[in-house]
Amino acid sequence: MFKDMVNKQVLELKKLWANKRQLTFQLLNLAMIVFSALMIWKGLMFATRSESPVVVVLSGSMEPAFQRGDILFLNNSVEKVYVGDVVVFKIKDRDIPIVHRILKVHEKPDGHVELLTKGDNNRVDDRGLYAPGQLWLEREDILGKAVGTLRYVGMVTIALNDYPVLKYVLVGMMGLFVLTSKEG
Amino acid sequence: MHTVWVRLNAVVFFGLTVLLCLSLLAALSKLGHANRHQPIIHKLALNSMKSLKNHGGVDRALLSFDLNVDMNPAFHWNIKQLFVYVVATYATPTNPKNQIVLWDRIIENIDSTNADGKGDGKIINESNVFVKYGLVDQGAELRGKEVELSLMWDHMPLTGMLYMGGQKEGTASKFVLPEEYN
Repeated sequence: MFKDMVNKQVLELKKLWANKRQLTFQLLNLAMIVFSALMIWKGLMFATRSESPVVVVLSGSMEPAFQRGDILFLNNSVEKVYVGDVVVFKIKDRDIPIVHRILKVHEKPDGHVELLTKGDNNRVDDRGLYAPGQLWLEREDILGKAVGTLRYVGMVTIALNDYPVLKYVLVGMMGLFVLTSKEG
Repeated sequence: MHTVWVRLNAVVFFGLTVLLCLSLLAALSKLGHANRHQPIIHKLALNSMKSLKNHGGVDRALLSFDLNVDMNPAFHWNIKQLFVYVVATYATPTNPKNQIVLWDRIIENIDSTNADGKGDGKIINESNVFVKYGLVDQGAELRGKEVELSLMWDHMPLTGMLYMGGQKEGTASKFVLPEEYN
């Protein structure tokens, strides 16, 4: 059964290789899908002014509001952030951004702000998570304010990160489908 | 080509599209709910000042407040929980605007009873509630300052947009911190 299907796919590929016009068409098709995805991502980056407009929640520190695997849509084009806003921030020299809620805002006369955050499910504020000696976050540390959420979608990303092999399998399969599926 | 794979692919993607559309509709169905339904705030005011002290160069005030609010109107079928919090707002020469969360509570849509197992969990009617987080300034400028207490809440949906709600401008209660440490 499985072998049959593999054989069929291989046969399709061989046929495709023989027909160069068809091959070019399918390759262009594949390229279009890849570039559309890239364009949507870059477009979102532009619209939200955030370097990552969509993030996956990786920890349970905001439970029960957000669970591991939920995705959040960020907007960084807001000029000011306020107490109670859920924001995603990045600590210098650390790769993984954190999703937490703003607990304190101190605004200076020149509009500069100093912020303190805390996870809803954590017992203490985030000073322990900041860089050594860092007491406050600044506006520049914030990647965006969470404006929307969609559940479970991020599970795919988490699975791909935990099992890198899955990544190649999935991408390979998708590429194969696009190449071998014919219109009509 | 009508292989099993192509069909499986079609079914999975159709299913995902349907789910996405339904989520979108669920999110859109309650658009503007906050304009029509506002929680009823009966009371939010200072009960008593416990202390105002200077710890290592920063001022810290501890206090308690009375809160009586019915959060039921803010809920609808796409709300997973409300994050309800009390904010203290004040101004100092160093920082023209300071906002500090003094107390917060998560009210989940499913838990309809209070912590003690009776009554409606979406109605908060408590007096002399001690703050969860102290009113801590960045410097030593709290003495004699006027502080405004206001209630705010964040709507956390099952799926869709997050949006804020808060006490109307001008209805928040105010109090003045003591002139001396005590």
